[in-house]
Amino acid sequence: MKKQLPVWLGFALALVFLPSIFDSVLGISILNQMTIWIIFALSYNMLLGQGGMLSFGHAVYFGLGGFMSVHALNLIADEVFVFSITLIPLVGGAVGLVAAIFIGSFSTRKSGTVFAMISLGIGELIVASSLIFADFFGGEAGVTGDRTYGPPFFGIEFLQDAEVYYLGAFWLFVATLFMYLFTQTPAGRMANAVRDNPERAEFIGYSTRRVRFISFCAAGLFAGIAGGLFAINYEFITEENLNALTSGRVLLMAYIGGLGFFIGPIVGAVILTLMNSLLSNYSEMWMLYLGIMFLLTVIFLPRGFAGFIMMHQIAWQNRRLGTLILPYFVTAVPALVFLAAFVGLVELSHKGDDILPFFGLSLGAESMLSWGILLALAGIGALGVKLSRPRLAAAWALANTPTADDRGDVR
Amino acid sequence: MSLLTLDSVCKSFGSTRIINDVSLDIEAGEKHAIIGPNGAGKSTLFHLISGRYNVSSGAIGFKGEVIHNLPPYEIARRGLARSFQVTNIFPRMSVFENIRCALLWSEGYRYSFWQLLGRQRTLNEKALDVLEQIGLSDKAQLPSGELAYAQQRALELGIAVASGAELIMLDEPVAGMSNSEAENAVALIRRITEGKTLIMVEHDMNIVFDIADRISVLVYGEIIATDTPQNIRSNARVQEAYLGEVPSDAKGD
Repeated sequence: MKKQLPVWLGFALALVFLPSIFDSVLGISILNQMTIWIIFALSYNMLLGQGGMLSFGHAVYFGLGGFMSVHALNLIADEVFVFSITLIPLVGGAVGLVAAIFIGSFSTRKSGTVFAMISLGIGELIVASSLIFADFFGGEAGVTGDRTYGPPFFGIEFLQDAEVYYLGAFWLFVATLFMYLFTQTPAGRMANAVRDNPERAEFIGYSTRRVRFISFCAAGLFAGIAGGLFAINYEFITEENLNALTSGRVLLMAYIGGLGFFIGPIVGAVILTLMNSLLSNYSEMWMLYLGIMFLLTVIFLPRGFAGFIMMHQIAWQNRRLGTLILPYFVTAVPALVFLAAFVGLVELSHKGDDILPFFGLSLGAESMLSWGILLALAGIGALGVKLSRPRLAAAWALANTPTADDRGDVR
Repeated sequence: MSLLTLDSVCKSFGSTRIINDVSLDIEAGEKHAIIGPNGAGKSTLFHLISGRYNVSSGAIGFKGEVIHNLPPYEIARRGLARSFQVTNIFPRMSVFENIRCALLWSEGYRYSFWQLLGRQRTLNEKALDVLEQIGLSDKAQLPSGELAYAQQRALELGIAVASGAELIMLDEPVAGMSNSEAENAVALIRRITEGKTLIMVEHDMNIVFDIADRISVLVYGEIIATDTPQNIRSNARVQEAYLGEVPSDAKGD
């Protein structure tokens, strides 16, 4: 823990100063979304990455926590309870935990495919009941609240998004710290052991079911905290926030970021939140790009973006990271050309009569020349990648061979 | 009183009877070997004792308690540890973590989520001790899946003995090793099972006759003889079952 103190200090400082750097309305709004999704994605990784439990229904705990939090906001507004809204994430967390204890008590009996199917079934069940119990879930319209009615927190009334950001950042830091510490406890470590080899775990004295149950409850707790933050940030929640789409989104985040690393889901949540917020302004096809990115990650970067970064550890230790810069650049340029042309083709194909601005050119779907230019660029880009790949592979091999003066070292 | 007692244990899969009326007493401190041709049911017997399979009929007692049909973790907590014929480790975790996890229950950590492992000095020192014993100290931080085969087998043994169990069951601990590797493994097995009770399945007769105090011969799910190595060698039924598989050079020592 002591060795990591600088990392945690850096994390805290980044959280404090990020809104000064991205101080636009959009910037703060994206940061607020990130705090929520990072906690949610980290909690999901307690299941999949650390515990080996593939869940298609993790949004249930996020959503239930969120719904109860919106109701709590309303109860505060009605002066049924009087407490600061800064504690709302605890309400969400408690609801997530209780739901996880209840559902986990039978779903964690099983692992693998059966567990995944149960999680899917529970998810559908909760979505269905959300339409039946309209008082609690508000039907299709959802429920709304108002975060500004609670007693002010040292004079802060949470009228502005920046104030909400700091509340979220506080809970993000606390939740991340506790989720990290969990990995360092006997229960957290045995979750890894059960993921790796459930059979052997039983023969060293551990009930795999109980180990899974503990991770499951912890994941539910933190998902609920994220749901509570969601309620504060949006003051509004619907059935969409606990359905399979949301469960799928958090799975994508954890996977794209990298399941095997604690920071993986953080990276994934940042990337996907950015794509979601920024790309959707530019293109209606952003979901398609997201899907393609997921496919490419699964195929080419099975350990996610965090895994891609960690792949360079050996080269770093060999002090040969520098030899990779030029080959990476030489491959990246044609790859970007291909990417641009590909995006151009996708956009052109659904533009209809509109003009597509493309690096100073005005392309139109009617013009054969436009299609020709894009296809040619895509071809050139693909060829460039193909030609530069052997050089990159050679550089990679070289960077990963120990340097001569390192060979004598005792490993 | 015997440490482990098998009383008319039977196991059937469907209509096929794999273990038929096996009775066996293992004394505390004994080194017991189970031999027999392929498919005799040796591994099945191990699985029955260690709780991976439920018995079809009969009873198994350990330290005076009935243990058959308990889940494996309940049996492991009572002080019975085992290794596997096929290497069965936690491949993505480091060698050190493998051993530390194997120590957790016996050291009383149970399902604790409020203690940080890095701060448990006694636990960590014990794990390092076990690594030292199995000769993997210098590989402590390596992911165990990246170890060489013989080293994985040593780790497999380490996981089995780490908890300090009284009864240790080893399923073909030297299978697939070269001669020199097997020699090292036998020395290791002697060292780490000193003062403990050992049951092992092994095909290499030299090793069996070398280590065992008593030998049981299992043929078609039945124990046809349990005796000292000396008497087993001269047992006519055993020789018949093995058709001269008992190596002649093992007879003369």
